Amino acid sequence: MSDHIVSSFDEELNEITDGLINMGALVLAALRSVEEILKNDDHNLAQKIIDNDLQINDLGQSIEIKAFNTLASRQPMAFDLRLVFSAVKMSLYLERCGDMCKGISKRILKGDLTEADSPNTIESLVTLTNRVYENLSLVLEDYAARTSEKSLEVWSSDNEIDSIYSDILMEILNNIKSKPEAIEALVPLFFIARYLERVGDQATNIAEVTHFIVTGEVLTDEKEIQIENETTF
Amino acid sequence: MVNTIDQIINVFDEQKIRKNEALISCSGVNVFYSDKQALFDVNLDIKEKEVTSLIGPSGCGKSTFLRCINRMNDVIETCSIEGLVKINGQDIYDPKIDVVELRAKIGMVFQKPNPFPKSVYENVAYGPRLHGMFINKSDMDKKVEESLVRAGLWNEVKDRLQEPGTSLSGGQQQRLCIARAIAVDPEIILMDEPCSSLDPIATAKIEELIDELKVNYTITIVTHSMQQAARVSQKTAFFHLGHLIEVGETENIFRNPINKQTEAYVTGRYG
Repeated sequence: MSDHIVSSFDEELNEITDGLINMGALVLAALRSVEEILKNDDHNLAQKIIDNDLQINDLGQSIEIKAFNTLASRQPMAFDLRLVFSAVKMSLYLERCGDMCKGISKRILKGDLTEADSPNTIESLVTLTNRVYENLSLVLEDYAARTSEKSLEVWSSDNEIDSIYSDILMEILNNIKSKPEAIEALVPLFFIARYLERVGDQATNIAEVTHFIVTGEVLTDEKEIQIENETTF
Repeated sequence: MVNTIDQIINVFDEQKIRKNEALISCSGVNVFYSDKQALFDVNLDIKEKEVTSLIGPSGCGKSTFLRCINRMNDVIETCSIEGLVKINGQDIYDPKIDVVELRAKIGMVFQKPNPFPKSVYENVAYGPRLHGMFINKSDMDKKVEESLVRAGLWNEVKDRLQEPGTSLSGGQQQRLCIARAIAVDPEIILMDEPCSSLDPIATAKIEELIDELKVNYTITIVTHSMQQAARVSQKTAFFHLGHLIEVGETENIFRNPINKQTEAYVTGRYG
């Protein structure tokens, strides 16, 4: 797409887009750290995720202010309007992803993963983390390139994440049944799985937003409702 | 008198069908100023009791198109028009058409308020008197009041009816021109950048008025303000270099236009 006649308008839109890409990069880095702390029960890294979340929140706030000012001063239309309007939603979704990573870190700091004695479940959580990471990076790549093919892929494959999540829940439940004495160590795993599944949902939301920015079309959530019903635990 | 549910439904359907029909239908319209072509094969239908915005860069032909609808281009000697412009199914360029009568059915409001150098009252009464609509004063008084009320100006001028129209503020003068246009009971009101010389408050009053007037009139407005088009109109048509590039629901034109040229123009990328 060609540049605006008013070049400062382009600069404002680029600041918003770059801000969101940076925010996404911070969330992806947090997810990579989650993978590490799941593997190594690294409490120092967990604390780092909690500390870094502030940076994600600050970036989100500055994007919202920029979008607000651009709406007021430029009154954008068509693609620009979709981009600015969606920036507010995207920053909220990414901020929530950051919060989920922070939540996982807090759960890990409160206990000791090794006490759960569930290497298979930990492995499944690592798989889920990787899957969520992959989806989030795909939609962010699409957003940066202003394309929507990868977003559509992610949007249609969210049920795979839900399925991994359901399997993990069953696994934890079975562990609780067979080792009731380990319930305190096992319950945090339940929450960690839930947080990761929620990050997956946010990636789907971002996929919807990216598709809307690029095409102007709204993806219906009939499919989502169906998936939700199938996997409600 | 409508009595039964069936009759009510029939009346409703008839109104619906009528509403879906184009009041103004233009096909294959070409306009020339001497040998320079200003409009190229414009095909555009305008529905009854809707506001249609014409947008596009300066010189794109939107005002030329607007003036085709009430044959205002006739007054330009070098101007010639080809194609068909129909209102209510009637070809308005048919030699049998009475142009004065046609223009009474199609009011026009211009960029710059242009009240006659007469009193507020006479500005509004001028048209009905010219068309012999009212003979006695009390009927004329009623018509003047009704027109000023509809134009949202009555409360501001009811005690100043004998003052010159030119003594009003710019926004009031523009609403006086709208009152003057509707005093002859037109079906259509054409507006050529009616707010371009007005401050934001006066502009808001005109936009509020357009919202109210669309219940009774079909309005076509030329505007350079994309936001104004988005606020006041149900349909928007984008012109570029004399061609009608895209026409559609206003929401779609500003949210997700089909044509790349439209997108470039509405987003400020057009040079």
